[in-house]
Amino acid sequence: MPPEFDNPGTGAPVPTGAGAPEAGLGLEADGTRIIAADGGDGRQGAGPWTIAWRRLRRDKMALFALTVFLLIVACCLLAPVWANHVAHTGPNTTHTLEKLHEGSETKEVVEPSGKAIGPQFFAAGGRFFLGADGHLGRDEMVRLLYGGRASLFIGITAAVITTILAVVLGLLAGYYGGWADAIISRALDVIWSFPVVLLGIALGIALAVGGLQIGPIHLKSSSLWIPTLIIGFVTTPYMARPLRGEVLGLREKEFIEAAVAQGASAWRIMFVELLPNMVSTIIVFFTLNIANNMLLEATLSFLGAGVQPPNSSWGTMISEGFEALYSQPILTIIPGTAILLTVLSVNVFGDGLRDALDPKSKVRYEARAGTTAAEPEGV
Amino acid sequence: MKKLPFFILVAAIAAVLAVGLAACGGGSGSTSPTTSEGGGGGAESEGKEGGTLKGAYTSFPDYMDPQISYTAEGWTAMRPVYIPLITYKHASGEEGAEIIPGLAKELPKVTNGGKTYTLFLRSGLKYSNGEPIKAGDFKYAVERCFLTNSGGSPFYTDIVGAEQFAKTKKGGISGIKVNEKTGEIVINLVKPRGTFNNELALMFVAPIPQKTPAEDQSAHPIPASGPYMITKSQPGSGWEYERNPYWAKDNGKQMPEIPSGHVNKIEIQILRNQSTQVNEIESGQLNWIFDPPPTDRYQEVKEKFEGTQFREEPTISTYYFWMNMKTEPFSNQKVREAVNYAIDPAALERIYTGQIKGTQQILPPGMPGYQKFELFPHNMKKAKELIAESGIKDKEITVWTDSESPNNDAGTYYAGVLKELGFNVELKILNPDNYFTVIGNTSTPNLDTGFSDWFEDYPHPNDFFDILLNGESIQSTNNQNFSQTNIPPLNEKISKLAGEQLGPQQEKEYAGLDKEFMEKAVWAPYGTRTLSLFVSENINLETAIWNPTFETELTSLEFKE
Repeated sequence: MPPEFDNPGTGAPVPTGAGAPEAGLGLEADGTRIIAADGGDGRQGAGPWTIAWRRLRRDKMALFALTVFLLIVACCLLAPVWANHVAHTGPNTTHTLEKLHEGSETKEVVEPSGKAIGPQFFAAGGRFFLGADGHLGRDEMVRLLYGGRASLFIGITAAVITTILAVVLGLLAGYYGGWADAIISRALDVIWSFPVVLLGIALGIALAVGGLQIGPIHLKSSSLWIPTLIIGFVTTPYMARPLRGEVLGLREKEFIEAAVAQGASAWRIMFVELLPNMVSTIIVFFTLNIANNMLLEATLSFLGAGVQPPNSSWGTMISEGFEALYSQPILTIIPGTAILLTVLSVNVFGDGLRDALDPKSKVRYEARAGTTAAEPEGV
Repeated sequence: MKKLPFFILVAAIAAVLAVGLAACGGGSGSTSPTTSEGGGGGAESEGKEGGTLKGAYTSFPDYMDPQISYTAEGWTAMRPVYIPLITYKHASGEEGAEIIPGLAKELPKVTNGGKTYTLFLRSGLKYSNGEPIKAGDFKYAVERCFLTNSGGSPFYTDIVGAEQFAKTKKGGISGIKVNEKTGEIVINLVKPRGTFNNELALMFVAPIPQKTPAEDQSAHPIPASGPYMITKSQPGSGWEYERNPYWAKDNGKQMPEIPSGHVNKIEIQILRNQSTQVNEIESGQLNWIFDPPPTDRYQEVKEKFEGTQFREEPTISTYYFWMNMKTEPFSNQKVREAVNYAIDPAALERIYTGQIKGTQQILPPGMPGYQKFELFPHNMKKAKELIAESGIKDKEITVWTDSESPNNDAGTYYAGVLKELGFNVELKILNPDNYFTVIGNTSTPNLDTGFSDWFEDYPHPNDFFDILLNGESIQSTNNQNFSQTNIPPLNEKISKLAGEQLGPQQEKEYAGLDKEFMEKAVWAPYGTRTLSLFVSENINLETAIWNPTFETELTSLEFKE
């Protein structure tokens, strides 16, 4: 096998780690763009995205984590296929009095004592693959897959909402400074001052009875958009504050001064000059935010302030399984394991992505712990 | 030694971590080991006096206020604290339905064709703060029922001037005359009321000091007239009792039929996790729990402890789904009938793990007037036909239930049934602490249908009709007529029967009333409940009393020698 060279221009590997020359995506520490790593022979070297991809490719753990995550996503997306063609039941369909015929054996889905049938795997043709979920006798596997859709939808959509809000607020506060910065920063401080879980619970419970009315749009209390919006809202400061810090650093760079000198408008400077230079940080934050959002969703649902029954999410499944923790711990173990695998895979991949995109950055998303995320170097 | 398979280890760690993460900051706390003075765990059935009884409820009662509370949770908690003029005997079974004098010297003298009740307050009685108990305190208690819009106030609207007072909240109730010197209390009714003795024995009209504000006092315990006083009450977390210092000196001497209790202190905590409650009873950290063991452990507890620490107790109760008859789709009788046909009591029996017995009528077994019938045997096909006939399609409805297991599962099952009938269903599961307060407020939006239960207030069938189904009992807050049933001819029948003393003829008429209401499918009843008494090893189960109205008599719980 021929040796793999990291720098095609010279054949020399790109040094990484502390003390290495900056090789982050898009921007050197002094603000200049990396366009090429020229070996001096006139050939243009790899671009920053290529360099990042090469770094990521070397991180086998991150790639494995990405594979696991994509596998989980694929399984959840195929939930209707499993429900309709294998389990032949919906996620909320009850089977309390049903009997299952396996060869000559007949089993009750829910015993008179209330205990539900355990995992059948393929003994019943895929029905009750992971058993039933308690007194109602709903198919645990079907609920797990549909619950995963809900958890992933909330995790990813809330991360998108958080990212949009945080980018806009961070750019406005960081670029304009002064009153705009003071108002935005204090508003973020107000949200930040509440423990994120408590704020989520308060909003979740307040909206659990009447739903949410935004102008002409009414969201039912059972709508997945309610926990999504709540999570997207309460986690915004944890991303907006570090982004604001990064903008504060970038706006002092020469390329911004040049843009100002050329008469570029504020909007152009923010969204055309500054934003592309923050992409690596945003991507890393976005990834890690997904994992945190999924945990927050599970917490809120467990406490009754997130996804509302009978809809399933992994959090509500843990909550429901918790009632039968003594007699059927598997009902808690299954969704718990799903959350663990998903969050772990997203976090490991997110860490790998951060190392690949910007190895010097100390950005950490630590919203759950309630600690301030360290701002990127240079701010 | 065998090694634990790796995947099991990983799964177990995963679950523990995930549960920990998901539950962080919430869930039920555990209690520290108790130092019950009365502990000892002796095998003898002879009890001993003193000690601290540690108990648990799954949720805080609706109110810790005698005039407003209208739940078994509240009544069990306040039974040893507030004594009405007349009260129910502290006994189990039928004997527990017997009315005896409480703060009054004797049972009321009924004159004027059943319209005048005369009682005399015992002299020298004191509240736990040392203030004397006055005859006027009874009058204030009745007025406070109306001032606080108590769910029990409809019991007293037949008192002369009560209806006017309910409207104006001013000027007092003219039908109650008191003489502070002699302790005489005269109550004049607009018309005879056959259940009035039963209603005078309810907690709603237990005398309290007249300076008590006319608002919920759950967090500020009202001075006690009974053997115990509540010393601390924190809604949401628990409450504590100590002996009333004036009980032994004054009140108790005059009321020998009312037990003084065995323990010196009672501490009740709210422990949301019912499985933890069972664990703590087993380990002796708790001595008594109000709620039955959770459904997934019920059989296990029953098999292990029946006869020694556990006893099943039949109740006179009805579990049902109410349907708001004022609004579509449940204003349509065909829809209500369809719901009754669609619900399968056998499935609900399974959901309640055998703790309910299926029934489809308003009066439960054991109540005078009960005659079994079954108008709507489970038939989903017929239910769907009725829905088709009603012409109602794709209607959005909200199903309400509380989060206490298995009521939450019953609500989920019911929502599934309605969905199968073609409705777009939204399920709302509320905390049991405020569930009945929310659904009892008629201004709450989307009160379409939901879960409820009813345990007898007193052994008279009127108790299942007057408050729950009489259109005249509908209130804006603390409403108990959740289906907002208002059928004038049946209202009249209820009122007529309420004025008569209960006899064989009346029982027959109540049985007919039961059937008439169910022919209109005003509810979808599904069962009658079996409850249980579960105590720690060091509590004397043999002497523990289960009253049909007040459930566990806290004054009967004692530590073994």
